[in-house]
Amino acid sequence: MDPADVRQKLKELMVTELNLEGKEPTDIDDAAPLFGSGLGLDSLDALQLAMSVEEKFGVRIPEGDDARSIFASVNALADHIVSAKAAA
Amino acid sequence: MRIWVTGIGVVSPLGRGAGVTMDRLLAGDRAFGELSLFNLPEMRTRLAAEVRGLSAAEVAPEGDAEAWSRTDAMSVLAVREALAQAGVAPTRGPIDLIVGGTTAGMYETEDLLAELSRDADAIKPLRAMLTHPLSSTADHVRAAVGPFRRVRSVCSACSSGANALLLAAAWIRAGVSRCVVAGGADGLCRLTYTGFGALSAVDPNPCRPFDKRRAGLNLGEGAAFLVLEPEEASRARGVTRPIAELVGWGVGAEAHHITNPEREGRTAARVMQAALAKARLSPADIDHVNAHGTATPLNDSMEAAAIRACFGPEAERVLVSSVKGQIGHTLGAAGAIEAAVSVMTIARGEVPPTMGLEEVDPACPLAHTTRATKANVRAVMSNSFGFGGTDTSLVFAAPDVFAAPEVPARRSVVVVSAATIGPLGVLGARENDAYLEPGPAPAPGPIHFQASEHLDVGRARRLDRAGRLSAVAIQRALGDANLDPLDPSIGAEVGAILGAAFGSVDGSTAFMRRIYEKGVKFASPADFPNLVPSSPVGHASIYLGLRGPVFAVADLGVTAECAVVTAADLIAVGEGEVLAAGSVEEASPMIERCLGPVCSGEARGVRSEGASAILLEAEEHAKARGIRPLAHLPWWTSWRGAGEGALDGAPEPPKRAAILTGQEDLPPGLCLPEAWAAVPHRAVAPRSGVHEGAGGFAMAAALAAIARGELDAALVVGHAPERGYALLLTAERSPDEPGSS
Repeated sequence: MDPADVRQKLKELMVTELNLEGKEPTDIDDAAPLFGSGLGLDSLDALQLAMSVEEKFGVRIPEGDDARSIFASVNALADHIVSAKAAA
Repeated sequence: MRIWVTGIGVVSPLGRGAGVTMDRLLAGDRAFGELSLFNLPEMRTRLAAEVRGLSAAEVAPEGDAEAWSRTDAMSVLAVREALAQAGVAPTRGPIDLIVGGTTAGMYETEDLLAELSRDADAIKPLRAMLTHPLSSTADHVRAAVGPFRRVRSVCSACSSGANALLLAAAWIRAGVSRCVVAGGADGLCRLTYTGFGALSAVDPNPCRPFDKRRAGLNLGEGAAFLVLEPEEASRARGVTRPIAELVGWGVGAEAHHITNPEREGRTAARVMQAALAKARLSPADIDHVNAHGTATPLNDSMEAAAIRACFGPEAERVLVSSVKGQIGHTLGAAGAIEAAVSVMTIARGEVPPTMGLEEVDPACPLAHTTRATKANVRAVMSNSFGFGGTDTSLVFAAPDVFAAPEVPARRSVVVVSAATIGPLGVLGARENDAYLEPGPAPAPGPIHFQASEHLDVGRARRLDRAGRLSAVAIQRALGDANLDPLDPSIGAEVGAILGAAFGSVDGSTAFMRRIYEKGVKFASPADFPNLVPSSPVGHASIYLGLRGPVFAVADLGVTAECAVVTAADLIAVGEGEVLAAGSVEEASPMIERCLGPVCSGEARGVRSEGASAILLEAEEHAKARGIRPLAHLPWWTSWRGAGEGALDGAPEPPKRAAILTGQEDLPPGLCLPEAWAAVPHRAVAPRSGVHEGAGGFAMAAALAAIARGELDAALVVGHAPERGYALLLTAERSPDEPGSS
């Protein structure tokens, strides 16, 4: 899978699944933190995003501390998806 | 005035009956087992605390079980037990009924919703859907045990049962009830089971409240009801001693997050302090806290912080326990079951344990009881917290230990604003008489609604359409009253009571269909909290910063009237200074073609939708703020049945008065008092369209007509099958002012 393509699809998914109304996928910074300060997402968003990623990409996000680093940014999440797909 | 608890009824996963439930709680029994009610592929856990061997057929009239629910059955059994213990019967004197809950007949109807929705054209009225509305539980208790006089269905998610008891206390203090049976009931269903699973809130093993390794809650089910009476009424019928007294209560909203509690427990502590203040007790008077204690990581640390904040050094002494380690989280029933357990804890002098608690989390440093503990329990505080941050605390005390609480003087209620969003757009306090003017009927179906025209959609992204419609209506009502709920100079927290006749029907349908079509693991965590009936008002509270009492009511086609009357009841006795009240109804093929015809009856006219918010305030509070009200609310009433004689107490109309209704017709069995018989009747339905919330538009129209000097009074009458409400709105004018009669 092409990481750039995954990042784009991921950002489209975030806008629709997290109801980021008024935001375009291009508004989301690939390197910015998803939670807290960056996009201002919270734990409920993390659950929704994990569910949507599994639905869309067939990749499970592990729970607990591993999830924290995977959800660090769009880049980190896309990397996880790409490497999980490659390993599959 | 003392409020006596004279009867308790409980159906719990530990047994049928209050006594057996308490025996087994004290014995440390845990009711968790493999779920037998339903099975969905790929469920991560099958653990639950079920009420075994219970079916709707046990209490339903012969041959009608398909239209009754397990929640009905638990409620009927618990109400019967409570009434029997109290020695009262509905046939011997008027008894009022309040039922808290979240799911009603969801278990019986969730599959039907998913099935029916596959082809919108094939949706048809099905009698089995009678149990879907939240109000169906109260209706069926009334049918099986009644006749009850005043009946309400309330929902504030997991504090519903506690708020039912709080409303009962308000009625008794107001002197309008001499006997109330109030509590909560919730049956297990696929929707809540998969929903809490989606939120990762469920421990696959028996839960561990306040434990360091706690990993979430277990779901349970059950019902509990208490009989509450003013001491004088109870003595008058020969009772000499109650089981306990209900001495204090507090309610408030966090206005923080739809699923996550405030970390520091600020609102929970405020509500607990309010309950103590109401009881005129200090932390030193309380011997036990029956905690909400769900065993979710966030709840338990928040609650521990709140208990420490409220109790200060006394937190080292006050015994704390949670029954959820034994019967799970029974959602809308939890507040009522825990109230019943609190009363029995006082009566038996023995505090139940927190089962599952082995190593206390350092973030939860409290005097936990991990085994049943004998103690002289003078007073117990019972905490309940719900989705949307709806917090309620109740305080029960041993009979005659503390001074009798004083009864505040009954206060006058005024209306300071009103707003609607409907076919004519967003209309404010002085504009809603547009719904009384001749004009075209609305287009059928959804109204035009662009959320971004009214709300900051970035901040409102979690709000579904019902939440957004509610927030817009309340926001406009507040704006027209120049009232900013975040402004501390108001001197009171603004609350809201707002419901929907059928709840989030389309949302629940979509949630269930997704589970069936994609699998349990794709249940949407973000959508689930929006399916609880109090979600729209909870979201509005968070968006607008409403921190007073926040809950939903449901009463079919008179939900808006029910909300306003309930708000007036609360303000009159000092349980709130400013409350927005109304309803939100959404256009939906499932409502139009199935729930509407089955529950509300066939409707004439064009089906539409909309939300209303009527802003009520204590007259003294409005005066102190220098606000001139739109109208006074000197009289209101409600009834069950045909309503014969229900309006006999209505004050006489002034010269320029009208009777206003949502729907086009007046209730067939209702006899207008002679003085009102010749007063013109007008309806808003031709312009607002037909929907279960049309009564809110009638109230808003009445207020605008009064505010603009076109009317001096309006009697707003709302009716639905077997129920109705009426309220009188009068002009605030001195006799020599223009526009007065």
